[in-house]
Amino acid sequence: MADSSGTTLMDLITADPAPVPAAASSSSSSSASSMTAAASPSATHPQHLSTKTTLGEKKSKRAALMQIQNDTISVAKAALNPVRTNIISHQKQKQKQKKPVSYAQLARSIHELAATSDQKSSQKQLVHHVFPKLAVYNSVDPSLAPSLLMLDQQCEDRMVLRYVYYYLARILADTGSQGLNPGGGIPTPNWDALADIDAVGGVTRADVVPRIVNQLTTEATNTDVEFHARRLQALKALTYSSSSNIEILSKLYEIVFGILDKVGDVPQKRKKGIFGAKGGDKESIIRSNLQYGALSALRRLPLDPGNPSFLHHAVQGISFPDPVAVRHSLEIISDLAIRDPYAVAMALGKLVAPGGALLDVLHLHDVLARVSLARLCHTISTARSLDERPDIKSQFNSVLYQLLLDPSERVCFEAILCILGKHDNTEKTEERAAGWYRLTREILKLPEAPSNSKDKSQKTRRPQPLIKLVMRRLESSFRSFSRPVLHAAARIVQEMGRSRAAAHALGLQDLDEGAYGNQYDAVDSLDSDMNDSSHPEGIRRTTGVSNAAGGKDTIAGMLASLMEVVRTTVACECVYVRAMVIKGLIWMQSPHESFDELKSIIASELSDPAWPATLLNDVLLTLHARFKATPDMAVTLLELARIFATKVPGKIDADVLQLLWKTCLVGAGPDGKHTALEAVTIVLDLPPPQPGSMSGFTSVDRVSASDPKSALALQRLVQAAVWFLGENANYAASEYAWESATPPGTALMMLDADKMVAAASSRNPTLAGALTRLQRCAFSGSWEVRIIAAQALTTVAIRSGEPFRLQIYEFLHALAQGGVQSQLSEMHLSNGEDQGASGTGLGVLITPMIKVLDEMYTAQDDLSKEIRNHDNANKEWKDEELKKLYETHERLLDLVSLFCYVPRAKYLPLGPISAKLIDIYRTRHNISASTGLSDPAVSTGISDLVYESKPAAAESDTLDDDLVNVWAANLGDVPAVNRVNEFLAGAGTDAPDVDENIISRPSVSYDDMWAKTLLESTEMEEDDVRSSGSSSPESTGSVETSISSHFGGMNYPSLFSSRPTTYGGASQPSERSGGSRFNNPSMYEGYGSPIREEPPPYTSPERYDSFENPLAGHGSHSFQSQDDDRVSSGNPQFGTALYDFTAGGDDELSLTTGEEVEIEYEVDGWFYVKKKRPGRDGKMAGLVPVLYVSQSSGST
Amino acid sequence: MILAVLFANSEGNILVERFNGVPTEERLHWRSFLVKLGAENLKGVKNEELLVASHKSVYIVYTVLGDVSVYVVGKDEYDELALAEVIFVITSAVKDVCGKLPTERLFLDKYGRICLTLDEIIWQGYLENTDKDRIRRLVRLKPPTEF
Repeated sequence: MADSSGTTLMDLITADPAPVPAAASSSSSSSASSMTAAASPSATHPQHLSTKTTLGEKKSKRAALMQIQNDTISVAKAALNPVRTNIISHQKQKQKQKKPVSYAQLARSIHELAATSDQKSSQKQLVHHVFPKLAVYNSVDPSLAPSLLMLDQQCEDRMVLRYVYYYLARILADTGSQGLNPGGGIPTPNWDALADIDAVGGVTRADVVPRIVNQLTTEATNTDVEFHARRLQALKALTYSSSSNIEILSKLYEIVFGILDKVGDVPQKRKKGIFGAKGGDKESIIRSNLQYGALSALRRLPLDPGNPSFLHHAVQGISFPDPVAVRHSLEIISDLAIRDPYAVAMALGKLVAPGGALLDVLHLHDVLARVSLARLCHTISTARSLDERPDIKSQFNSVLYQLLLDPSERVCFEAILCILGKHDNTEKTEERAAGWYRLTREILKLPEAPSNSKDKSQKTRRPQPLIKLVMRRLESSFRSFSRPVLHAAARIVQEMGRSRAAAHALGLQDLDEGAYGNQYDAVDSLDSDMNDSSHPEGIRRTTGVSNAAGGKDTIAGMLASLMEVVRTTVACECVYVRAMVIKGLIWMQSPHESFDELKSIIASELSDPAWPATLLNDVLLTLHARFKATPDMAVTLLELARIFATKVPGKIDADVLQLLWKTCLVGAGPDGKHTALEAVTIVLDLPPPQPGSMSGFTSVDRVSASDPKSALALQRLVQAAVWFLGENANYAASEYAWESATPPGTALMMLDADKMVAAASSRNPTLAGALTRLQRCAFSGSWEVRIIAAQALTTVAIRSGEPFRLQIYEFLHALAQGGVQSQLSEMHLSNGEDQGASGTGLGVLITPMIKVLDEMYTAQDDLSKEIRNHDNANKEWKDEELKKLYETHERLLDLVSLFCYVPRAKYLPLGPISAKLIDIYRTRHNISASTGLSDPAVSTGISDLVYESKPAAAESDTLDDDLVNVWAANLGDVPAVNRVNEFLAGAGTDAPDVDENIISRPSVSYDDMWAKTLLESTEMEEDDVRSSGSSSPESTGSVETSISSHFGGMNYPSLFSSRPTTYGGASQPSERSGGSRFNNPSMYEGYGSPIREEPPPYTSPERYDSFENPLAGHGSHSFQSQDDDRVSSGNPQFGTALYDFTAGGDDELSLTTGEEVEIEYEVDGWFYVKKKRPGRDGKMAGLVPVLYVSQSSGST
Repeated sequence: MILAVLFANSEGNILVERFNGVPTEERLHWRSFLVKLGAENLKGVKNEELLVASHKSVYIVYTVLGDVSVYVVGKDEYDELALAEVIFVITSAVKDVCGKLPTERLFLDKYGRICLTLDEIIWQGYLENTDKDRIRRLVRLKPPTEF
């Protein structure tokens, strides 16, 4: 708690007690009992009461309460006894023993002193000793309330009363859950619970709160002039009462409105300079005080947007003479304006006109009031509902622009943020883009000079472009010595970058070039300084250095000189300022400019050990956000991210980094995918840190892994990268076994390894490059990396067609041999300790992988033999043969699924030639494509693979445990996802973690993981019951569901698990290229959505082109689901369109009421229907909502 | 919202803390985070020189005043600059109460008065009074503007 060094605050306070008026002490009961400590157990405890909450404390507190009770009673009885000596004797005693005062003592003293509150000495005691010490505790015992109320009624001393209001407010604020009260200091126990135990003397909150509220309400409505200071305090204390209590709340509204009804009307205009000034007649001052009190209370009450009198009173407040009241009123109004800008604008009416009260606020000496004014003006000037009142909007807009000239940075920056279109974190891209447009093109025209203006202001009254004002202001702020100012200025630059990126993304720059120039021409005539500014930024940029140097007044020039200043701010001592500067630089970085400077700044910054991990991760998240705004920058951002990986591996969250890789890879588009993958895997080219020899290692490629912790973290990063590569190489290379038309390479078998590699790299350089990297990792990494590399290779082998699979097979074989050769003979006997002692040590691990590939190849060979036999003999395939084939197919599919995800409906372990035969079998036997995983075959599959080849089960278990842990460490990206989303949403106020915990993920046991897989696959099975047919659209739907369930359970950050819209978007970038990408905000959302891993909704089958098996062809539509109860083949269902339906997407079909359709199948509330002739949209088939079609049962 | 105001002595003992809208389980984190921040950065810092930090969308401004350090945490409209205003009001009011730069002893002796002063400066997470004369009057239960 408060005592990090073992002393409590109370210890500190009472350690050196102030001299106490030494009064004659008479032996009262309590002091006697505390002297003879052991005599009475009920009295001993309070003396030695620890301020920490312990189990035993309840008892002692209870005893203390009982004693308080007894004492109070005895005090009441012995009225003649001067009770104040009680506390004095305590003090004296404490002075001797240097013991801290306990809460119980304080409580007792209050009870006693309250009874004699008319005496001066009692008051003094209370004010100087009791109340200050009571403030140390973070909650106040409700049993004190009666005494406090007694003091409130009887005591005259102002200080005592002030404390009484303070404590009453705290009793009211204490919501019972100890956490929410605003108190601080030493924790006090839960009084309510205590009182429940102590049935005799218990006073619960429930008992006292109504009494307190009543008392305070009476005081708050007391109109006595002399009483009005107390009235304000009573009102203030009342606002602390629980806001959930509607009764109290309505009472409060009543009081506040009552006061404002009386004093709210200020017919005469506020005189200049009256703000906060002393003087004036008594009546108006009291009035102003009451106005202040009422508005302050109103500010703490919940907003009541629909209530006209609420709005009316709030608007009245703007004209009040009290500056704090004006601030509250503006704050309330600006909050209200967000909900209902029209009503607020109407209510403000003439206040915004020249000479109105709102304009007076511009000169009000209260920063926060002007900040609220800026917000208010922004809300109203951008409100849609006021589109018909451009006059009002422009009035508010002009006030907003004037605030740019405000002497306070806080106000000026708020105005800049408002102009930039940032109000909370939910702005849309359009708003931000419009903000950049406003900032760069609008001009501040000051209204006619007020009468008292001097000649000096003549100069500033010339119309000024906003951008120029802002740039000047920012530049001067960056020269400030105040760190908060620097931090804020850097933040403003960041927000500018954000808006600018939004404008670029929407192509605003290009659209309005003409208007831009014209507008500046208009300025030129007014402002001779601006004569060089008629070129838009874009042109200026491209025309080269000479112009940039001379054209100081172009936006580009101004930005350049601002960024120069910003960059120098990196020298600031404070890391937080530096972090903000770097974020600003990242945002201001243009995709077309060289980012070498930024890179070197970041690199040199990261060498500073002062950076806390959270801050670095924040910067990393900024890269995420930047990518979302400008996907073109994927490669640049990956390069930047790489600096983090190499420089501070120990401080960054590998998950967040991995997510960034993934997001960038997806977003990089077809051309960028290769580069993006390269940028990711560059991490792998780092030499691995070797245990024990870290120091000699730092110079290589600027890797900083100087301590074991960061070396370990770098290791983790490398693992993450390897895993990422394995999981996503196929995506990046667009190479899928199920898309490959190349027959399994019987011919390629003949080639030697070199030729194979050459063939591979000529076919698909991306994949070949990835393979080379993985192979190197499998050889030369640390054992963790090698394991993951082998896994990754297997994944790639399973997912790729030839010759890659063969290449990997060869490689794995060599790897296994190398490791196993020396030991294989004795492996069965070995206890596993010497695994990895020689060779690669991966033998045990690789064996099942090789086995699965072996089985695939064997089965493929068998199949091609069979086919040849059948062809030669011209035989038909018999059902048993097909069954055998199908069983092999399913078995292999199960095996393969153990290693990595493959789309079961499409994947053909037996090669493309098997597709037809399997389809035939499936059709004959009504087998849906994805059944099989739920039967025990999977578990047998596991045991087959894992245990069959290795009788030494224990040995394999240990190894697999490691493997799984490594996996688990890399897979769980859900926290990272949350973190990124939270960051992008601008949320997150939760407390920082002080301990920089790097590895804090729960480890998953092997059994758990597989159990989960099995569980998930059962769900998948259920989903798939609805679907059937090898490549009919619904089965692609099932791919989708199975992806999500599969990966949802496993937490794979795989591309396969991303939202299908994204996948579709990435593989078909033409769909959303260019400007159209950003026109639809929801689409834009979807574009960045790989960050989300939620169960996807059903999307169009066409999106899944890449999953389509080309061999299956369109003929496969005839293999329709036959187990679907709605649709059985040979008995097609028909229906009639009930209503008109307009297709909302490519995959949907427009209907006209009454149209006859043939229902193919149903999926997720949609029918896939065919029409006899093309409709309005020229399409014959597509999806329509189920409810739009009435099914006719009969067939035609 | 001003999420927290915290006073600590030079050893990192917390003297006063006021949280607004911070869940109990997070207070401990904030407390140790702020104390750590101060321990790392406040050495040799001049009185009332403002330091800044941020965590997610929350801002922190802190400074030294005599023997005690003051931390203010805020979000939304209470950004680093608004917090600078807040901390300025707090430090000047504390100096006003103590009569000079507070030593730890002096601060503790004026503990009650300081609590009342804070109560007038920050009211339910919002900045209330900024003028130190006015604060002084309100602490003495006098009307904000006197006649």
